[in-house]
Amino acid sequence: MTATIAKTTCPYCGVGCGVNFTVPDSTSKSGLTEVPPVSGDLDHPANFGRLCVKGSSLSQTLQSDDRLLAPSVNGDVVSWDSALETVSGKIAQVVKDHGPDSFAFYLSGQILTEDYYVANKLAKGFIGTANVDTNSRLCMASAVVGYKRAFGSDTVPCNYEDLELCDLLIMVGSNAAWTHPILYQRIVEAKKQRPNMKVVVVDPRETATCDIADLHLAIKPGSDAAIFSFLLQHSVQAGVLDNGFISRHTNGFKEALNQALESTPTLTSAANFCGISDEDLMQLANWWVETPETVTFYSQGINQSSSGVDKCNAIINCHLATGRIGKEGAGPFSITGQPNAMGGREVGGLANQLAAHMDFATPGALELVQRFWQAPNMATENGLKAVDLFQAMEEGKIKVAWIMSTNPMVSLPDTAQVRRALEKCELVIVSDCKAHTDTTAMADVLFPATGWSEKDGTVTNSERRISRQRGLLPAPGEAQHDWWAICEVAKRLGYQSAFSYRNVHEIFAEHAALSAFENSGKRDFDIGHFSQITKSEYDALTPVQWPVPKGRPEGTKRMFEDGRFFTPDKRAKFVPIVPILPLQEKTSDWPFTLNTGRVRDQWHTMTRTGDAALLTKHTDQPYVEIHPKDARQLGIEDKTLVRITSPYGEVLLKAKISRAVAPGNVFVPIHWTQQFSNASVVSNLIPQVVDPLSGQPESKHAQVSLEAVKNCAYGVVISATPLETLDFTYWCYVPSEHGYHYEVVWPVGQSVASLQSLFTDGHQEKGEWLEYTNPKTQQIRLAYIDNQKLALAVYLHPKPESISCDWLAMTLVNNDVLSDLERMAILVGSPANVEDKGEIVCSCFQIGSKQIEKAVAGGVCSVEGLGAKLKCGTNCGSCLPELKHFIPIITELSA
Amino acid sequence: MTLQSNLVRIVIVGAGMAGSKLAHDLMQQQNAHYSITLIGEEAQVGYNRIMLSSLLANDISDAEMPLVDTEKMQREGIHIISGDGVVSMDLAGKILVLESGQSVSYDKLVIATGSRARILPIDGASASNVMGFRTWQDVDQMTQLDNAQPICVIGGGLLGLEAAVGLAKRGHVVTVFHRSKWLLNRQLDVESAQLLLKRLEGMGIQFRLGESPASFLQSKEGLVTHAVCQNGEQMAANLVVMAAGIAPEVALAKAAGLKVDQAILVDEKMQTSHSDVFALGECCEFDQQTFGLVAPIWTQIKVLMAVLNGEEARFAIEPTPTKLKVSGVNLFSVGRIQPTQGDSCIFFKDVGANHYRKLVVNDGLLVGAILYGNVADGSWYFQLIQNKTNISDMLELLIFGEAYCRPQVA
Repeated sequence: MTATIAKTTCPYCGVGCGVNFTVPDSTSKSGLTEVPPVSGDLDHPANFGRLCVKGSSLSQTLQSDDRLLAPSVNGDVVSWDSALETVSGKIAQVVKDHGPDSFAFYLSGQILTEDYYVANKLAKGFIGTANVDTNSRLCMASAVVGYKRAFGSDTVPCNYEDLELCDLLIMVGSNAAWTHPILYQRIVEAKKQRPNMKVVVVDPRETATCDIADLHLAIKPGSDAAIFSFLLQHSVQAGVLDNGFISRHTNGFKEALNQALESTPTLTSAANFCGISDEDLMQLANWWVETPETVTFYSQGINQSSSGVDKCNAIINCHLATGRIGKEGAGPFSITGQPNAMGGREVGGLANQLAAHMDFATPGALELVQRFWQAPNMATENGLKAVDLFQAMEEGKIKVAWIMSTNPMVSLPDTAQVRRALEKCELVIVSDCKAHTDTTAMADVLFPATGWSEKDGTVTNSERRISRQRGLLPAPGEAQHDWWAICEVAKRLGYQSAFSYRNVHEIFAEHAALSAFENSGKRDFDIGHFSQITKSEYDALTPVQWPVPKGRPEGTKRMFEDGRFFTPDKRAKFVPIVPILPLQEKTSDWPFTLNTGRVRDQWHTMTRTGDAALLTKHTDQPYVEIHPKDARQLGIEDKTLVRITSPYGEVLLKAKISRAVAPGNVFVPIHWTQQFSNASVVSNLIPQVVDPLSGQPESKHAQVSLEAVKNCAYGVVISATPLETLDFTYWCYVPSEHGYHYEVVWPVGQSVASLQSLFTDGHQEKGEWLEYTNPKTQQIRLAYIDNQKLALAVYLHPKPESISCDWLAMTLVNNDVLSDLERMAILVGSPANVEDKGEIVCSCFQIGSKQIEKAVAGGVCSVEGLGAKLKCGTNCGSCLPELKHFIPIITELSA
Repeated sequence: MTLQSNLVRIVIVGAGMAGSKLAHDLMQQQNAHYSITLIGEEAQVGYNRIMLSSLLANDISDAEMPLVDTEKMQREGIHIISGDGVVSMDLAGKILVLESGQSVSYDKLVIATGSRARILPIDGASASNVMGFRTWQDVDQMTQLDNAQPICVIGGGLLGLEAAVGLAKRGHVVTVFHRSKWLLNRQLDVESAQLLLKRLEGMGIQFRLGESPASFLQSKEGLVTHAVCQNGEQMAANLVVMAAGIAPEVALAKAAGLKVDQAILVDEKMQTSHSDVFALGECCEFDQQTFGLVAPIWTQIKVLMAVLNGEEARFAIEPTPTKLKVSGVNLFSVGRIQPTQGDSCIFFKDVGANHYRKLVVNDGLLVGAILYGNVADGSWYFQLIQNKTNISDMLELLIFGEAYCRPQVA
């Protein structure tokens, strides 16, 4: 029996690349399934065979030893039935006692559309609450509202091809080189093919994406809207308005223009607002004027803002005014961060949506959905958006929260508040495939969920392309699909008939049917073609861009080509925009502006990428990027420990001194959780400031203070087993191919004895310690050899230093008995090219047997000759007898 | 003799290692016009005293003992007198009188009388079965013992331990008394000595550290039968080997009127207080130091040869590495091993592998080193000390040896 190759979709960013997955023919004895490396799907229109390093490492993440394998209640493993009873019983009780809004779902852009659909249906139609929000709130909620305000619908107009076809690409608040690497590679390739294509990057930081930028506008954080306010008014002056389009297809141009003229009356006013030069802004404006084929590509830098929606509309305004929408190579293109944020939007899995791109405010929608679902308890108005939802939880209003496939203890702003909320909540249910996350630690009930390669359903990428994420491996332990768990709870709440799906394709068909239900072109989201889909058709589904209404199975490449939008009068709407800066202002107490973002090889809170050792090679620890000028003033050296404080909390991070950030600004990546590091969750610093329209937090902005943490000793610990106690000032677990690698910081003044007791605490001391102490350099290095094998190595230095851990990690799993010199090399951290002298024969000159043998083999034939060559035996002579034994006995031939 | 009247008559008193090698090397010189006489009180002349430990341990045979080829030396004209010690020296008359009554005249006199074992003044130590460990004859006496005798060795220095190991290998039950708290206290520190102790205990040797015997009990025949410990405990001992230091042999020199302190005082030309009289080896004292190791003595020979040839040469004291000649035990010690003010000690310890390193550094220089177990880097450290190499840039990896530091040196 041979392995088969199946096509599925990458679970990371919103590009949604197709992945070829070799399904193993059987599982190994260990129970872990060995999966060969995945490859890119040549046929998938998102990536045409390419994969980034995260995607390429997917098979490595399937070997996790931290899977959640069984349901538990209050820490006790229980049967699914018992756990489901507990949950449904508690939901029924709180709904009865406190009303339906005492329950909430907090979902994720990583669950599949089908999971989303049943959660949304259960809450909004059956329990009767719209408290269904999701981590997508943190990612693209502003983009959704921006699109809806302009188009009357949450419609991404563009597709990936437009990125290759455009002549000017304005990338705003996006480090696509790291966050959407495959799209970035497509752009790089297109620019190579057409060198005249211009790329402008608008970003406070000089990111990797700037590599291909013809122009980088390093704007003041959060000032983006002024650029587009200026471009709007400049378009008038430069005469590039599409007046026909404006008059036929839009409303509100005049008001928007007037506001733009008021907000950014001149080039200089806009440039000053953004903290950039007139020349640079003019350069962008000139290119904008000259280039009809312009795509504005934007991401979290726009969305995660207290004025994110306005920024989106500032961008869209410019495209509407110039008619640069609904055409090849043109459009305002929001790129999502999650694999299925779009799918969540489609089912209505946000608190301010109802279902299938209908809102509570959409006339007739409530009644329509109720009829379709045959729902007994329709929610009637918007629920609580993420931050509000957790605030309501803290206030005791939400008593049962079901968190699915997301890590709000890391990703929501103000971690301390999130902790208080979850502590207050009477029942916290967490569905996850990981046993240990910062959020599972807060759960009362844990539901083991299937993960990527097991989950089966559909996802939608940033260009509206629906692809199958296929279930290819068996679920481990008692893990179940999220949709199954939701339906089981629903049934126990008494809603058997509405949630008795036999197979996941039935959910998809129902979702498709709802999208088409009484639609007839009124709503953008229509995948009616699939409303009767069979299991075999579903299993064979190939990637397709919605809308896919009945009769149009090929889907829709590009939206608004006819200039008709989804507002009541089918006209797009200009929105007058007043550019504002982030709400938190610089003060003398909080003098630094914090920006957050991603590193190249990690994704979200590392629950999956953290399993692939390869992905730590690029950046092994969290860090705070600081401009050299600020670092000098604060006495912070590269790689030393820094305490960052905001009014909400503090974190400890290593400094990365770099001119990529402007003076007065710092940058911290978002990925590292308490599972990986003790105090690096940047959300601790972030206020719960949100956009008033989208509810999206301003997660890329906080005012903080910095200080060098003094008197530190920097350590590296390599261990064969996980450390049981992590009693350090700072620690970071660095996933490694072999063993366990920690970067740590202690207070100075550790003694060998205290270190030894720290690491052997509770263990019988049967092994052997190796020690290196150097008071001149203040180094301490220790290794623990247990049963002739390296069990632990500890390096300590007053300055951060880099130890090559690969060789050490290999040594952990080396089964050969270590030689003296190999043991010593452990404390060096690397093997030496030590000449193996063999046993020392001449002690005076330290000449060993192997050196002597070599000399003899080279023609030396007397003890005197050895002395002349190696000096051996020429001092005390005590080795002369031994030396004689090395001289071969030459049988004399007859003379 | 008359035929050689144009030759400078050099007489060497003492045919141990220093005297024999000097005679040998003088003879090897081209164009040297010397008449050489080598006088030894021992029957054996020109053997390698250092090898006595190996001989005792049965690691080598008698045939491997010679340091120089005395027959060849004699063929080439060196006059060797053995088993006939000098009894007096007339420095004014430049004439020596030997035990046999023979007298020998000289132009230049070299005293190389070496040293004797120091017999500690312990009650009962005057018995005939209390001996040193200095001569081939001493080894002969030890090898003639019956099997499995209880033996006490007094002194846990290099010599005492080599004697103890040799005797233990011959099947005797050996106890070492050592006054210091740790073995080889002049070469090792506590930690390395602990490794050595473990190793030697593994060979069946027992140790009483921080202790000298209170007294020896003697039989009616006047032989030691027991060593009495400080706590009164009695330990059977059919032989006592005194290895608690050496006493330079200076009686002749003193009697002849040469200036003597701990040993015969010499200057940097190896010259004593009397012109034409030189001293070298264990019997001489230079700059308040005496010598027990071979390396500086070999240097002294080179200096003296130059001086005799009328060339410019000066002896200076340099650190000398020491080692223990016990097969399977590797240790290396050089320079200042106990830190003094301003010194820092860098340590590497791998007790499990019996591997220990200690480096003493001061102001960018390496000043001392102890290696135990793996001593391959000893010569490199010795070079760094000798050459006064600035090791400031190597501090981080210095203790891991030359292989890790070489790229930084280049």
